[in-house]
Amino acid sequence: MLAIIKNTFREALAKKIFIGYYIFYGIVVLVMLFAVNLDAVEGVMSFADVQKTIISVESGFVTLAFPLILFFALISASSFITSMVDKGTIDLLISKPVSRFKILTAKYIGSTLFVAASIVFLIGSIWLILSLKSGYWNAGFLFTIVSLTFAFAVMYSISIFIGLTTQSSIISILVNFFLIFVFCPVLSAREQLIFTFVKNDGVKFIFNFFYYILPKPGEIKDVTIALIANENVPLWKGVVNELGMMGPTWMSVFTSFLFCAVLYSYSVYYFAKKDY
Amino acid sequence: MALIETQNLSKEYSSRFSKQKVNALNNFSFTVNEGEIFGLLGPNGAGKTTLIKILLAITFQTSGTAKIFGLDARDSKWKKRVGYLPENHKFPNYLTGEQVLGYYGELSGMKRDSKMMQKIDEMLALMNLTQWRKTRIKKYSKGMMQKLGLAQSMLSNPDLIFLDEPTDGVDPIGRKEIRDILHDLKSKGTTIFLNSHLLSEVEMICDRVAILNKGDLIKEGNVHDLTQAENIFMIHTVNTLSPEIKQKVSLIDANAGVGDNEIHTETQIETLNKMIDLLRSNNISIKTINQKTSTLEELFINVINKDNTN
Repeated sequence: MLAIIKNTFREALAKKIFIGYYIFYGIVVLVMLFAVNLDAVEGVMSFADVQKTIISVESGFVTLAFPLILFFALISASSFITSMVDKGTIDLLISKPVSRFKILTAKYIGSTLFVAASIVFLIGSIWLILSLKSGYWNAGFLFTIVSLTFAFAVMYSISIFIGLTTQSSIISILVNFFLIFVFCPVLSAREQLIFTFVKNDGVKFIFNFFYYILPKPGEIKDVTIALIANENVPLWKGVVNELGMMGPTWMSVFTSFLFCAVLYSYSVYYFAKKDY
Repeated sequence: MALIETQNLSKEYSSRFSKQKVNALNNFSFTVNEGEIFGLLGPNGAGKTTLIKILLAITFQTSGTAKIFGLDARDSKWKKRVGYLPENHKFPNYLTGEQVLGYYGELSGMKRDSKMMQKIDEMLALMNLTQWRKTRIKKYSKGMMQKLGLAQSMLSNPDLIFLDEPTDGVDPIGRKEIRDILHDLKSKGTTIFLNSHLLSEVEMICDRVAILNKGDLIKEGNVHDLTQAENIFMIHTVNTLSPEIKQKVSLIDANAGVGDNEIHTETQIETLNKMIDLLRSNNISIKTINQKTSTLEELFINVINKDNTN
């Protein structure tokens, strides 16, 4: 398994898209460094204000960057599976004394670890810059590393399934785009967006059904923001905010995990039975 | 001892969108014994690659059994003892030759230690690839890729090697080198399962062959026996044959081709002996008697045509 994980890292490094990814992250870090040098933090604000400002900057960054980082990571890693199941590559892999489960899992772990490393670089650098400059070391911001990696792992299970069944990375990118930016946000806001107009219980049931079974990257982001702000995140029932929107809950994380576990298990089963 | 054994192995492919089914293998039963070089022949689409893939559990049979080292082919326990070079293999092109061997060596269960590095050095030297070891394989020629593939299949010292078109894209000198390597492997007791379109090479290398057509096994046997044309003999004489002798020969075999110093006959052994008796009783000295042999290619074309006609 370790050989496949190491090779996934080599494959990632050989892909220009990942180098571009790191260069872009490097630029973001430099911009952050420059922006913080221009700030008005030093000397003027109380520590409580500094804390508030840093939390706002970190939350704002996560709000903007979370879906983009997630989507770009999925684009970059989408070809790992399709290249693995290429005729001539997969035959040789399967002929080796490594089970199909281990082959797929090693690829999954390798891709997730590589993406995690790039997230550690970006989030870790920003955290260091903000903390060194302000003197406020908000450990909650580091949770972004875990939540982004988790969100990637969840959404990547879709890429794996589509990669195995269609051998097309384009389809997996399109499906992920649709889920991250369109379908899942609409489902999350279904009560405000849809249920105001739709009163039919059958339609409501369908929307609720899809909401609960599908992953919730947007809500994982909301949980992250709440943790950055050191807010309490309820387990199941969210608190309604002043805009009438339901606050984040751990339910979004649990159901996303469940979705990932079920889809990945089915992908393993499919891969184990497939003729190559 | 049989290293590979199949019983009534069948594989049926069905299209996802239509009801049409294709039989890639029909009740295929055969064995490959330890230490032999076995050749699998057949036209395109005959089911050769499907058979190899079933044996290696890359594809699964619809019915029948396949055993390797006495174990079910789907059981991966035996895979450490097997090497495989697929047709049109694709190695990760961002790796160097040395890294490719290291990667597949590890996947074959080898530990990345000095012993493995020594084995990689040995394989690269054997394939004349030492000077290219640090070069990324995307710069390799087709022949170099085939040699690297062969090195990969041999790296873990397997007891059984499956080679699917190993000389594809390799120049004549490279092909000769590969043949020599295979003979060397055989002398060390390695069993080789070879799938090749180059019949002349199969004839030179293999002990036994099987010919497949449309999923059916239509001929199997020892290469020497198969290439012996049945009952076609050429008798060369020292003395010139007189018209009277020629007439007597024609009485024994009306279809015999009789020249001044040669007789070409397609007949049974008894009739051949009658002809020899006739010649000797007439004081005709016999220089040679040859049984005509056909090439594997001739045999292949004949049996395939015959099967297609039937």
